Amino acid sequence: MKKIAVFKLALAAVLITSVMGCKKIFDIKPEDQLDVSQAYQNVYDADAAVVGIYGKFMKLADRYIILNELRGDLLDVTNNADEYLRQVSTHTVAANNPYVSPRPFYELIINCNDALKHFTIMFKEKRMTEDEYYQRYSDIGALRSFIYLQLGIHYGEVPYVTSALENLDALRDISAFPRLSFNVLLDSLVNFTEALPFKNVYPAGTNLNITVDGYPTEKFFINKQCLLGDLYLWKNDYIKAAEYYRKVMELATQGAAGENYYSQYKLGWAGGFNHYVSYSRAGDASTLVYNDGWRIMFESAWASDGFRREWIWVLPFDNKFQPENNLIKLFSPIGGNYLVRPSQEVMEMWESEQQVPAQGTPGIPYDARGRLSWRQIGGQPVVMKFLYNYINYVTNLPANQLVKDGKWFLYRQTHLHARFAEAANRAGRHRLSWGLLNNGIAGAYPAPTSNVTDYHNTLWDATPFNFDARNSGGSGVPYYRADWYRNIGIRARANLVTLAIPAADSLNSIESALIRETALENAFEGTRWADLLRVAMRRNDPAFIADRVYNKLIKSGISSGAASSARAKLMAKDWYLPFKW
Amino acid sequence: MMCRYRNWIICLSGAFTLFVTGCKKQTDDHNAITDDALKNNLFELISANPDLSTFTNYLKQTGYDQVLASSRNYTAFAPTNTVLATLDPAISGNADKLKKFIANHLAGQLYYTTTVTTAARILMQGGKYNNMLGSKIGEANITGKDKYASNGVLQVIDKLLPALDNCWEFLNNSPLAPVKQKNFMLSLFRNVFDTTNAVVIGVNPVTGDPIYQPGTDSVYTNLFWNSVHDLRDESKEFTLFMLTDAAWDAEVNKYKLYYVTGTADSTTNAASWSVVKDFATDKVYDPASIPDTVLSKFGTKVPVSASAIMQTIKTSNGIIYILNQADVQPFSKFKPYLIQAESYAATSHDRRGNTYFRDRFNTVTGKDFTDVLVLGHGVALFNIRYDIREVPSIKYKAYWVAVNDFQTATFTQKLGIGTATSTTFGYTTVALNNFNEVYIGEFTMSQYRPLFNIYLTAANSTTAAANPLVCDYIRLEPSL
Repeated sequence: MKKIAVFKLALAAVLITSVMGCKKIFDIKPEDQLDVSQAYQNVYDADAAVVGIYGKFMKLADRYIILNELRGDLLDVTNNADEYLRQVSTHTVAANNPYVSPRPFYELIINCNDALKHFTIMFKEKRMTEDEYYQRYSDIGALRSFIYLQLGIHYGEVPYVTSALENLDALRDISAFPRLSFNVLLDSLVNFTEALPFKNVYPAGTNLNITVDGYPTEKFFINKQCLLGDLYLWKNDYIKAAEYYRKVMELATQGAAGENYYSQYKLGWAGGFNHYVSYSRAGDASTLVYNDGWRIMFESAWASDGFRREWIWVLPFDNKFQPENNLIKLFSPIGGNYLVRPSQEVMEMWESEQQVPAQGTPGIPYDARGRLSWRQIGGQPVVMKFLYNYINYVTNLPANQLVKDGKWFLYRQTHLHARFAEAANRAGRHRLSWGLLNNGIAGAYPAPTSNVTDYHNTLWDATPFNFDARNSGGSGVPYYRADWYRNIGIRARANLVTLAIPAADSLNSIESALIRETALENAFEGTRWADLLRVAMRRNDPAFIADRVYNKLIKSGISSGAASSARAKLMAKDWYLPFKW
Repeated sequence: MMCRYRNWIICLSGAFTLFVTGCKKQTDDHNAITDDALKNNLFELISANPDLSTFTNYLKQTGYDQVLASSRNYTAFAPTNTVLATLDPAISGNADKLKKFIANHLAGQLYYTTTVTTAARILMQGGKYNNMLGSKIGEANITGKDKYASNGVLQVIDKLLPALDNCWEFLNNSPLAPVKQKNFMLSLFRNVFDTTNAVVIGVNPVTGDPIYQPGTDSVYTNLFWNSVHDLRDESKEFTLFMLTDAAWDAEVNKYKLYYVTGTADSTTNAASWSVVKDFATDKVYDPASIPDTVLSKFGTKVPVSASAIMQTIKTSNGIIYILNQADVQPFSKFKPYLIQAESYAATSHDRRGNTYFRDRFNTVTGKDFTDVLVLGHGVALFNIRYDIREVPSIKYKAYWVAVNDFQTATFTQKLGIGTATSTTFGYTTVALNNFNEVYIGEFTMSQYRPLFNIYLTAANSTTAAANPLVCDYIRLEPSL
């Protein structure tokens, strides 16, 4: 018995020492991770936080495409798609569907809130200068507004959380956060984003606008003015929206008038690197140019002139750094799961267009952007836009199946011009809007016969609708080459004929044509659902969205009953996903 | 103290032993064969059945008893003793034939009557196939169903499954096959270049091409196998029509008119080929339900009247009908030629730079089409050549679709029959924006041509507005 008593004592002693020791052991900081007390020491830590948030944002790329395109009418599921993806496509989403959980969005929002809080602390403690603080705070604030805009588009009523939470569990009690309706959310977002102190891109030469791993980082970050334009457009504040869009359109209007000056974000032609749809022998359909022109904007290098003039917001996927390219998994039949395909509906939309006449009138009877946006690989239609850095367009094979490089395309000048035109059209500038859509400002305001003040310009109009596209020609005196003289319009760039618009209803005709053109030009780039929803809400016309989704579903071969019930659901303005935490 | 420990140890080891022995019994229970049927292999199952004793004996004679006792899975379709009593002594008395016959009753996979719910062609051990559906295999009914053993299933059947000749073996071997058609089909053997089994013995130093050992670079094969159907293929089923000698001669003579050549032999040959190529289909027609007209591989209607059927021969891969008449109509045999103008064989001059493959919308048909336009080529009598094959000596009507939507002036072009400058047809004006088929005229082939050239010839002018060529397609319609 004595022996046992001794043993008990010894055990107790060991236990006590080990517990006492624990406290100190647990105080040691991890060696491969930063503790909160060590982060946010200086501006480089702040930059790391910004880049880290964007890195996490990229993990949402496939979700962004699925929600914005698969819910719309341009993207369809393949036989490989699981039940949950099919639910998204047919608008029969169950609450347990992992693709529609808002949780990943909120994880990122919490990260943004945390960074914003610490940026402010750093600024107060003078660990960042005012400029540095404003730039980074505004960037992350705008990204958060973008994510909230996405949440509003897809979920309608969502909790608007702007305070920093230590962890996600704090979000568990969702009743603590009142949910805002989409409209109130938009007001909150406008107020917050409008108040951001810095609305330009990071100035060249600063830490966040340099070249890293061969990538110029300039296009990585959200364009706050585009975002503000979008927010105002959702709020139907057309003048404000147009003002912000115009600022981006004029981004390159500075310094000496060179190629960039006339073409970046102005949808203007340039001496080279034009993103035309063209044929090496006009009229010979077999000579469609693949190795240059419209298709190349999805493949070309980041530093190339064409790329820089076209794109406003792009993020890189590279095999050398995280996160891995989730878009290849979504789209590619080689090295991916091939879950989605172009819908029959969008294929027929491209087929029903008309190109400008060449060696015969009328011209080629389809929109060649279809052939450049998707192609048949192994007998299956594949969305190619996101795969051109992975799958070679000649061989239909990847150079290296394991090197999954690519880009996440978010915003480019055709989005910008189409939305500016949408705002301008609603603000009563139908002709200007028609010109931006079709063959440019000069095309809408051609050389006059008598009143020369109308010559290629809208200078009589108020800002932001006053464009100067004057061009005196080769022998004109005086010699004019105004800022916008190279603007060619979205459809002319794609080699399409201009659209005739009935005079009786220019407003709705032009607006519908703009939405349709965005589908043809920017299909699969993640804006379709938002475009349809915005117009359906503005016109209070649920058929605008319901009929298109119905057309996709009926052509995809699902039963007419299922297609009709999706239509009925959307007609009842039941547009939003279940907000299931 | 020690004593206490010892007791402990004894207790513990006792418990352990109990535990282990208990386990053993449990595992045994789990793994034990509870189904008595699985204690025997397939051969044991068959030999235990007194009603299958003849089959058992044959299995032993042919050595298949060892196979059915092995560890692989088999399905045995075993005829009962009474059924096997009817077996031709010529088979039971010949070891080779018997082995073939028995092999045709054994399949290398498991087939249950409950799982073969759609018609299946199942591979037997002898390399031939039998058709199975539910409790029917070939002609036989499965009377004793799905009796399983450790390595297979036994199906007792009420008829024999004879190892028949296939269609080609019948044609080759059987005295029943009509001689003239048989001889013609056997005359179609050719050496065809095929490097599958070739032995490379060197490389041509000039061209870099491989040099093959003589005799290995070709395959001795039959045109019928390659161009119509390979009647040796056991996995498929065919219907072959054979004509009695008199009917064959009558049919060939009827078609000689359309295959005029320089020599009588060539004409007979070409006409015979034309006749025979429509005589096989890759669908099996049951004698009870054969329609009065069968569509051949080439879309020709072959009339099969019940009264003309002299004999019906079942083969292992289909059925052969011997007919004393098959009056195939020429208008069904001779098809129109549809020449897509953009897929040409050659042009008289290299003018790819002036050639436009245009995608267009046809306002008449409401469909997109692709045509070819050669504009501004600067060559008088510029022409495009098209090749058509096996053209019989009959009359054709020619049509084209040519859309002049690229200039306001009309122009002329012509079809050259045989040569680019042939005067069979004159120049035809290509009207503006005409999406309709235009009738060009009629021409007669004086001789059968295995390969024939058609040309699209431009005007005899070097002026761009006068000498374009444009065409969507050319259609040559037989006019009998």
